[in-house]
Amino acid sequence: MKPNNSSGVLLKLMAFSIALGVLPLSSYYGSLHYLWEGNTIYSAITAVVAANVVLVSYIITATLEEGKASKAGSPSETRKER
Amino acid sequence: MSQCPPFAPFFGFAGVASAMVFSTVGAAFGTSKSGIGIAGLGQFKPELIMKSLIPVVMSGIIAVYGLVVSVLIAGSLSTKYSLFAGFVHLGAGLACGFTGLAAGYAIGHVGDACVRAYVHESKIFVGMVLILIFAEVLGLYGLIIALIMNTKVAQASEFC
Repeated sequence: MKPNNSSGVLLKLMAFSIALGVLPLSSYYGSLHYLWEGNTIYSAITAVVAANVVLVSYIITATLEEGKASKAGSPSETRKER
Repeated sequence: MSQCPPFAPFFGFAGVASAMVFSTVGAAFGTSKSGIGIAGLGQFKPELIMKSLIPVVMSGIIAVYGLVVSVLIAGSLSTKYSLFAGFVHLGAGLACGFTGLAAGYAIGHVGDACVRAYVHESKIFVGMVLILIFAEVLGLYGLIIALIMNTKVAQASEFC
């Protein structure tokens, strides 16, 4: 169980690191050309929003994963006590 | 003295460099200082590591702010470049860079202390996220000012 868990965590972290690097820049250039027709302020704001979306999704993922881990841990504790 | 002296692009490039360099210094400090705390937490409760990496992700966002401002300023550099535009770009780069430095400093200290306290008390997590958000918006303020300053260049572009 433990090696499986740690490789899953590592994959998630790598995915978030790549997303944090790729998403803001790509959303900046993409929205500059296709959404806002050359208005740099709006595309910079889009890039900032994309970076913060990655951050919020990371916080949500971390909170949900800890909820799952604590649920999986507690039944085994009660079996030990018996 | 002409409006477009040959040394004017120096200030523009200095703005690009300072936005990237100083915000990266702040992000590096935030990452390293909170990483020390995470290494301490990982010895006792390794299942909490994913949650305690939040200061590191926020430091990365500070560096992304500096990157966005650098890309923004570098996009409006050209050979026909007035001194006014150079000063505006330098101010924008310095605003973003130094606020990123301040934000990274705050994230580092807060991340280190709160992550170490998270070993003993799990309710500190919400407080840590709130404090980190307040520290990160410092960098966001610098980015907003850099954006506002950069629009002045677009308005006053035809000097030479």
